[in-house]
Amino acid sequence: MELHILEHSLKVASIEKEGIQICTHGLIKLAFLASKTRCKFFSLTETPEDYTIIVDEEGFKELPQSEHISVADATWLALNVVSGGGNASSSQPIGVTKIAKSVIAPLADHNISVFMLSTYQTDFILVRERDLPMVMHTLSSEFTLLRVVNGETVAAHNLGVTNGFVKPKLGRLPRPIIHPLSSPSNMFCVTSLDPDTLPSVATLLMDVMFYSGGQKEPGASSEDSSHIRFFSFSLIEGYISLVMDEQTTQRFPNNVLFTSASGELWKMVRIGGQPLGFDECGIVAQISEPLATADIPAYYISTFKFDHALVPEENIQSVIGALRPESTAQ
Amino acid sequence: MSGSKPDILWSPHHPDRYVICDSELGLYRIGPVGSAETKAGTLPLSEETAATLLAINSDTPYMKCVAWYPKHEPECLLAVGQANGRVVLTSLGQSHNSTCKELVGKEFVPKHARQCNTLAWNPVDSNLLAAGLDKHRADFSVLIWDISSKFAPETSVAAEKIRLSSVDLDSSTVVTKPLYELGQNDACLSLCWLLRDPKLLLAGMHRNLAIFDLRNTSQKTFVNTKAIQGVTVDPHFHDRVASFFEGQVAIWDLRKFEKPVLTLTEQPKPLTKVAWCPTRTGLLATLTRDSNIIRLYDMQHTPTPIGDETEPTIIERSVQPCESQIGSFAWHPSSQNRMVVVSAANRVMTDFTVFERISLAWSSTTSLMWACGRHLYDCVEDSAEGIESMIEKDIATKMRQRAQSKYGHDTVQVWRNHLLAGGNDVQLKSLWFDLYYMKQCVEDMELKLQGNKQSVVYSGIKNIVKTSSGTAESRRCWTGSDRQTDVPRYHSEERCLALRLCGWISRGPDIDVETFLRSLEQEQEWERAAAVALFNLDIRRAIQILNKGATAEKGDLNLNVVAMALSGYTDEKSSLWREMCSSLRLQLKNPYLCIMFAFLTSEPGAYDGVLYESSVAVRDRVAFACMFLSDAQLPRYIDKLTNEMKEAGNLEGILLTGLTKDGVDLMESYVDRTGDVQTASFCMLKGSPGDVLKDPRVQSWIENYRNLLDAWRFWHKRAEFDIHRGKLDPSSKPLAQVFVSCNFCGKSISYSCSAMPHQGRGFSQYGVSGSPTKSKVTSCPGCRKPLPRCALCLMNMGTPVSNCPGTGKSDEKVGLTRENKLAQFNNWFTWCHNCRHGGHAGHMLNWFRDHTECPVSACTCKCMQLDTTGNLVPSDSS
Repeated sequence: MELHILEHSLKVASIEKEGIQICTHGLIKLAFLASKTRCKFFSLTETPEDYTIIVDEEGFKELPQSEHISVADATWLALNVVSGGGNASSSQPIGVTKIAKSVIAPLADHNISVFMLSTYQTDFILVRERDLPMVMHTLSSEFTLLRVVNGETVAAHNLGVTNGFVKPKLGRLPRPIIHPLSSPSNMFCVTSLDPDTLPSVATLLMDVMFYSGGQKEPGASSEDSSHIRFFSFSLIEGYISLVMDEQTTQRFPNNVLFTSASGELWKMVRIGGQPLGFDECGIVAQISEPLATADIPAYYISTFKFDHALVPEENIQSVIGALRPESTAQ
Repeated sequence: MSGSKPDILWSPHHPDRYVICDSELGLYRIGPVGSAETKAGTLPLSEETAATLLAINSDTPYMKCVAWYPKHEPECLLAVGQANGRVVLTSLGQSHNSTCKELVGKEFVPKHARQCNTLAWNPVDSNLLAAGLDKHRADFSVLIWDISSKFAPETSVAAEKIRLSSVDLDSSTVVTKPLYELGQNDACLSLCWLLRDPKLLLAGMHRNLAIFDLRNTSQKTFVNTKAIQGVTVDPHFHDRVASFFEGQVAIWDLRKFEKPVLTLTEQPKPLTKVAWCPTRTGLLATLTRDSNIIRLYDMQHTPTPIGDETEPTIIERSVQPCESQIGSFAWHPSSQNRMVVVSAANRVMTDFTVFERISLAWSSTTSLMWACGRHLYDCVEDSAEGIESMIEKDIATKMRQRAQSKYGHDTVQVWRNHLLAGGNDVQLKSLWFDLYYMKQCVEDMELKLQGNKQSVVYSGIKNIVKTSSGTAESRRCWTGSDRQTDVPRYHSEERCLALRLCGWISRGPDIDVETFLRSLEQEQEWERAAAVALFNLDIRRAIQILNKGATAEKGDLNLNVVAMALSGYTDEKSSLWREMCSSLRLQLKNPYLCIMFAFLTSEPGAYDGVLYESSVAVRDRVAFACMFLSDAQLPRYIDKLTNEMKEAGNLEGILLTGLTKDGVDLMESYVDRTGDVQTASFCMLKGSPGDVLKDPRVQSWIENYRNLLDAWRFWHKRAEFDIHRGKLDPSSKPLAQVFVSCNFCGKSISYSCSAMPHQGRGFSQYGVSGSPTKSKVTSCPGCRKPLPRCALCLMNMGTPVSNCPGTGKSDEKVGLTRENKLAQFNNWFTWCHNCRHGGHAGHMLNWFRDHTECPVSACTCKCMQLDTTGNLVPSDSS
């Protein structure tokens, strides 16, 4: 297995819902006019609380300074697991599940905080730049570490710092689930579209991104309190990825969104009652390890305040079962 | 192709059909423009060709890529890759009951939708169609479909789950199970099957090039690189692959896949297409965005990457098939260097043939060759007289023949060189006679005169008559009569020397032309002899000569008439004879007869009729002038004549200029006119004055002549010329450049032996086998330790000649027999400048006849290949 350390230096920011209008110019430019910026990594996720932006330094320049924007102080690097060597193992747990045991758990054991971003194409594991030596030390045994420099992958230098690191906890205890979980009622779709067709749906996407608050969504009845507003758009190295609920997909014309042959739908598990912050580690591991054990595929999207896991709708009960063995079922 | 730029595909089997794909597929047939089937619908592609639209297919929206089925049957079957990753088989211009009926409309659907970037049919197992797709987190990006596969039952289960069914899945035509799935969690941007093995697939993945082997799909060979777009195998060299990234093309060798064997110069705009020419080896065409030119890279002479690590040579050039910006292009599969280009907008097509570079080679003999494409042309100058005579006339041919006949090398009978040159060139004859007379005078005067007389002789008549002093004037009687002539004749030492140089009088104090006259008579130059006799005031002898000429074999009877006219000579100024002769003489065809009467009828001192008769040899006119022109007239006349000669580049003028700077000027215009550097070199070498030889023009003639001999592979002739030159111009002898030094004492073995006692050499001449003296040759004369051994015969080396440098003339004649045998070239020291191994020249030559590597074991030096001329054979005999 190869672990690619990508060259993007990323910032994670939160824009308050009230402040979104001052940022729309920059966000539209980043999302729809990629050729006008030098930004290569852009992600926008809307949750009921805020908008979470993950953007590289070039793209960060497009955003204004405002009291509505709070920025996590660290610079983040994206890691990407590639099954080099091409061994096409037939059993293929999807996404986060696949890397739960090999990446997420060891990092959690070393008290390294991670920030996850799953997309249609792949999973990015964001770590703080200052943690990189430790990350490399932790993962070098399991992975071939490669660094992307100017688009070319080169062998990453092992920094050779081994002294002074905390020894991993031996004797794996089952990770208790600390944070409260909730599962909204609506179902989600993870999809993508051809960048060439992006202009044709740009106004629709803008509407979905920025004007969702005012619009009554069909099917979202007021009594359905567990219905959640969640939308994610990312444009990373030319690839577009979208996460939206089923109702929203129906607003798109036929044949624009890429859909899987099986047309799978996903249910969300939302993690956290209080904003989680950036320093606590092991949250992703708490969720992903039981899923990996149960061989349930998952997407995982961290935002500024909470984490979100997407699991196949038919598995949602077994997921809840796996994650809340002790707590009272909802 | 959703409004994106168009692409072109040639039919693999119909040389006149191609498909343009942009938002739809259009099938065209290409044909000659003037053919009977020219209709309103044809589109002109070039001056000769036009295209007819045969069919349009717009059944497949969202096209991203197209590939044409490679086999004959079913023809015109196309695979179209769509934006959602589906691959659809479709057809153009086929009737519905054709063979591909059950294939057309078949769809191959990936599990997760994403763009299909590329398609590639397997060239051998044509059921296999590889599709390269964008990345999906949980899916494969390289899917290989089997187009003959039937509907798989297990997909029905999956089909039940489809809720977002935007397309009605007709289960009988949809295939969802690929034969192979490769490249998990990666993106595939380009694909091609390798020609060296149809089971190998080369894919340009997200950040690497990967070779998948269908026999073992768990393994792949890959290399990390940015250049992953447009992978394409050279059809003529199956291990060579091109790929690109943005503006840069990388060329790979699959046998050495770690890094590109070369990268081409980066273009400022990103590339859109790279294609090997199918009809010409090593020709790669590239196209960048927003460009109206196609760049061609000729790698024909690029060494293979396995070979020597020499800098590859790539010839880059660009062609502009049309005015507008080019959308795409495609090489014609069989027509040489031909392509069709489609514009970026409006689907304007152009039929275009890349004109092959022409390489031209002019041989050192007369032929001119050029190569263009697969044709080799031998160029012949068109002339009325035919090729043979043209070649005959060519100075290069003449020089070659003259070099072979040792022209210029006769240093004793110098005049004979004109015979060696063929003997039919008046100017050369005059030149070599001039040089002969000069040499004679010098040799003659060496006996009597001291000082710088030699340089006077070679300074030419122009300079000789300038220094004239003490000219005596005399009026002589006509020989055999006591009549006083009123013709003054001038004498001086210088004029006498000039006459000798003209060849009129020979050595000795007696000024007598009789010898000269006899030699002229012998050569049957009757008129000339008569004129010379007349100018020496001997009318009777002149008449006698003319009579002789008339009676001689093949003689001209008219000479008798002339003799009769001559005998009537009278010095009466107003006689009828004079009047008639001065007007009728102009009708005489022979210039010598003409000037005889001019002389007799002109006033003393006014001899223009003689002096400016240009068909009379310069030497005769000059001699005449020296006899009859006064000190005032003579230099003026000579100067004028000299300038004339210099301007015309007439070698007869060397008589006047001598081998001085003037002579070099004259020779310069001769060389400019004829290109005969050979004559110029030999002639100027005779000029002993250092300043003439130092003249850069002379040096360049000599160097050019040597180069010419080398180019003809006349190495022996060149060596002979160098020896000849060294004798005449000792400063041209090259200093010894190579010394053989003893490994033990470090002294040069040829150097120290000059200090050897003479006795040692005396013994070695007898060379008794096994005697102690024998070892003298094979040991260092300085320290007496043995010389190195020959790598082949393991004998110590050494040649007797190496120990006699500069022993002078005596050695040249004496003792050459024995020593020469020992010092034959076969025994010479030879060694490789690279690996420093060597041995006897003969052994080495024999060895390298059959081997390429050094004879010393474990030495892998390819000595002989380093010597570029080592394998050439001289074309002259030694």
